[in-house]
Amino acid sequence: MKKQEAIAGWMFVLPALIGFLAFFVWPAISGLAYSFTDFDLLTPPEFIGFDNYVRLVQDPLFWNAIGTTSYYVAINIGLQTVLALGIAVLMHRLTQSMVVRGIVILPYLIANVVAALVWFYMFDFQLGIVNEIIDWTGLDRVAFFGESAWAIPTVALINVWRHMGYTALLIFAGLQTIPKEVYEAGVIDGGSEARMFRSITLPLLRPVLAMVLVVTVTGSFQIFDTIAVTTQGGPVNSTRVINYYIFDMAFNRFDFGYGSAMALALFVLLAVFTFVQLRLTRADKSDLG
Amino acid sequence: MKTTKKRSLAAAIAVLPMLAVTACAGGSGGGDSAGGEITYWLWDSNQQPAYEQCATDFAAANPGSSVNIQQFGWDDYFQTLTTSLVGGDAPDVITNHASFFPQLASTGQLLPLDDVVESEGIDFDDYQAGIPELWVGQDGERYGLPKDWDTVATIYNAQYLADAGLTPESLQDLSWNPEDGGTWEQTIARLSVDANGVRGDEPGFDASNVAVYGLGLKSKSGIGAFGQTQWSPYALSNDWTYADKNPFGTDFNYDDEKFIESIEWWQGLIEKGYMPSYQAASSGVGIQEAFGAGRYALATDGSWNAKTYFGFEGIDAGIAPLPKGPDGERAGVLNGLADSVLSTTEQPELSKKWVGYLSSAACQDVVAEAAVVFPALNSSSEKAATAFADAGIDVSTYYDAVAAGETELAPIANHWLDVLAVMEPAMESVLIGQSDPDSLADASEQVDQLFAND
Amino acid sequence: MTTMTPPPSQLASVEPATSTRAGRTPRPPRSRRVRGHSGGRARKALGWAVLGLVMLVTLFPFYWMLRTSFSTTVSLGSDPGSLLPVDFTLGAYQRVLGLATTQEALAEGGSGASINFWSYLRNSLIVATVTTVGQVLFCSMAAYAFARLRWPSRNLVFSAFISALMVPPIFTTIPNFVTIRELGLLNTYAGIILPTLLMTPFAVFFLRQFFLGISKEVEEAAVIDGAGPFRRFFQVILPLGAAPITTLAILTYITAWNEYFWPQLVGRTEDVRVLTVALGVFRSQTPQGGPDWAGLMAATLIAALPILVLFAVLGRRVINNIGYSGTK
Repeated sequence: MKKQEAIAGWMFVLPALIGFLAFFVWPAISGLAYSFTDFDLLTPPEFIGFDNYVRLVQDPLFWNAIGTTSYYVAINIGLQTVLALGIAVLMHRLTQSMVVRGIVILPYLIANVVAALVWFYMFDFQLGIVNEIIDWTGLDRVAFFGESAWAIPTVALINVWRHMGYTALLIFAGLQTIPKEVYEAGVIDGGSEARMFRSITLPLLRPVLAMVLVVTVTGSFQIFDTIAVTTQGGPVNSTRVINYYIFDMAFNRFDFGYGSAMALALFVLLAVFTFVQLRLTRADKSDLG
Repeated sequence: MKTTKKRSLAAAIAVLPMLAVTACAGGSGGGDSAGGEITYWLWDSNQQPAYEQCATDFAAANPGSSVNIQQFGWDDYFQTLTTSLVGGDAPDVITNHASFFPQLASTGQLLPLDDVVESEGIDFDDYQAGIPELWVGQDGERYGLPKDWDTVATIYNAQYLADAGLTPESLQDLSWNPEDGGTWEQTIARLSVDANGVRGDEPGFDASNVAVYGLGLKSKSGIGAFGQTQWSPYALSNDWTYADKNPFGTDFNYDDEKFIESIEWWQGLIEKGYMPSYQAASSGVGIQEAFGAGRYALATDGSWNAKTYFGFEGIDAGIAPLPKGPDGERAGVLNGLADSVLSTTEQPELSKKWVGYLSSAACQDVVAEAAVVFPALNSSSEKAATAFADAGIDVSTYYDAVAAGETELAPIANHWLDVLAVMEPAMESVLIGQSDPDSLADASEQVDQLFAND
Repeated sequence: MTTMTPPPSQLASVEPATSTRAGRTPRPPRSRRVRGHSGGRARKALGWAVLGLVMLVTLFPFYWMLRTSFSTTVSLGSDPGSLLPVDFTLGAYQRVLGLATTQEALAEGGSGASINFWSYLRNSLIVATVTTVGQVLFCSMAAYAFARLRWPSRNLVFSAFISALMVPPIFTTIPNFVTIRELGLLNTYAGIILPTLLMTPFAVFFLRQFFLGISKEVEEAAVIDGAGPFRRFFQVILPLGAAPITTLAILTYITAWNEYFWPQLVGRTEDVRVLTVALGVFRSQTPQGGPDWAGLMAATLIAALPILVLFAVLGRRVINNIGYSGTK
């Protein structure tokens, strides 16, 4: 019996295991290996030791990419989480309507590139409706994608638009798990809305929020699609985020070795960041008991 | 290829039942069918019909062979090509461009075509002078056969000229200089009109609220290192050249005083309100659409786009020569495309035959008739001039400039893509007003670094 | 991390209060709503106003896509702020569906390039469907193995799987590209589908959480009946797990449909190009001018349509079942 179960266990997990080994483990190992080589895919890789890493440390564009990506993540996640929380609370308080929830999740259904293209058009300096409105109020037009100070915030805004509904639903589900008795007690104690939110809702939501943050931050660091179809790293390198820089280096400039080194550096940075984040938010404990 | 609406609709409907059947239709690869089929890539969809015609003619003249033409937009072209080279399913023949030719040649991706020259009996004197030499690699082998040539001129809006009290003749003999812009700047100023109708050379001109810009601006397109349709007419006529030699120069002159002062003057036009800001120019409205919408009075652009300017409703366009510079000469960049055979081809003989055909009168005449570009073969080139004239476009300005030697060859160099990549953000930064033109000298140092290990 | 939360209960109006976990003294049942009691109307109105604004911002771009797709590209510059289509035309849709001639296309501001829309649709369908079927099947099998079967190194393997969640996709993309190339699968459906076909850490985790929660009694009954692991899986677990599996399937389908990065690397040629990649290509078509905005908007709408339809039909389940549980 046990043996049959053990065999069955292995067989059930086999396809996934093959996928895991072939497309996660093997690439991770070879990625590591490539990072120590000079490889242009047209000729066999050439071992060059730590040269790529030395180059990485001295490469202003790499650090620019890390900085730009971090800036992007900060704006994106900061705004998105606040908005999603707000929407979730509003829905929680005002309506359980399926229609509202359906509308709110709509942007998530379309591809990143679709959202990017639509907003690229809407934010356009000359043709965009947003600038028309700005013009109409008497202010100066803004080159959302043409001005280096505006480019990353604009990309962040687009992704906030796309993800805030989905994130709101995640938080909303979390709100549902908070027992109503807790609120009732808070009301009896004479708490105002704001106070209850601060002292009851937020703390009890912490595990959910923590998980949401970890996943959305990790996802946010992967930003690529939007930039690929709008600014391609410009203007003046202000949107040259790390994913785009690596992609550009590997597939446009044929430097797979250096690209792999940068990807590994990113992996390490992300792992550390996630670890710290999980620690800080004590995500594995719930205040409920 | 043209298809009628009905045929396309029927085709679309016919495809639907096939959706269920085509489940495993993936996988492509040129040249795996019986007989000879080769794949040819190009990027300009405007030229595609002409080349489809050439392909048909070629197939008729070479029974059993066929040419499959694929088009990828310019923005994607090179990346798609490199991905396909790396992926092992590259096309057989490609339209080649000066900016990536050196890289392809030096990594052995192109086949030498000297034997084609022999077998087809090609005499390069029959072609536009200067173009054939651009396609000889550093090793002395020829990697591309000339396809077409192009240069730069000024497109004008005739109505705006008239409104400003000017005539096309007034544009024929202008000159500029880095100090005060000369008669060229005066003309541009005159043609600029702000939202209140005040002209650029009148008092009270509001540079922050301009309705019509005297001179248009094109974004990207090699604006950093190449500037063919942007600043090259100025820098090149200011006694400046791209590098120590061409082709395959290694010491670029972006730190040269003459270059920097030319850029400084040119960028100054934006502040004066005669040229749109870079932000506006890089928005979703390109230089041609803006011209067509009546926002620019003049536009510096290449001959391959000329036809578009004449196609706008309500705009009466014309072509005028570039201004003369401090060295007393005009200077437009003369460039040309070529066709090359990739070394990964499985049909080298057929591919070479196709390339030979493309550079022959048979195909170049077809291209001439289409009146989109100027074929490199002189006899066909003349026919093109006529075809353009028949279409109502007088392209003599381009031909005159080339005949008078008022052109400079486009730079061919190793690492050119990297040079472009380095210079573009630097130039953009200057144009946005974020950095001084002097900062270009720093970028120039980075460019020199690229050649340091050669 | 992710679990399925039960469909939210009705808004509580009456609930006998038992001793709360927060340790407060129990109170008699209340009959009035706990929510929305202080500053009632004004607050509610404000809340609705904000929610309304959110919905407006969410929906407006969709309307804008619609409005622009029925406009003529070359005329857009003349009236960018118009809420109605500028120079109404069906031309954009004709271009996208490949029904317009080159002349017509150029006249309206499009490019002369041919668009092979039905091909792209077919490709997206194939890629998304195969990916979803494969992923759901293999991941539910693996999840079952982790949740319900005992076998050596089970926990070790599971931890390894989960650690894969931490890996940024770009890190595996480059070597995966090389692998796919070595296998000769570039520009094939297999090349696009393979990396995620067999497993994704998220799917395994998601399903395992659910399977862990299935009551043991039902399964034990099946064991007593003499059913082996295979029969238990197909006849007990899968039917019980129909809800989260469907949710996962829908989410996977959406994700697969909207993928861009990987397909544009390995699926560039016409015959395997998916809709998202085609959009990117569509954008860069015109040689030097601005994009064909009307055509682009029409294309994006059509590309988004299948998922929107899918959602209209099956969305209820997804909305109900998205959730994280705060507890382990």
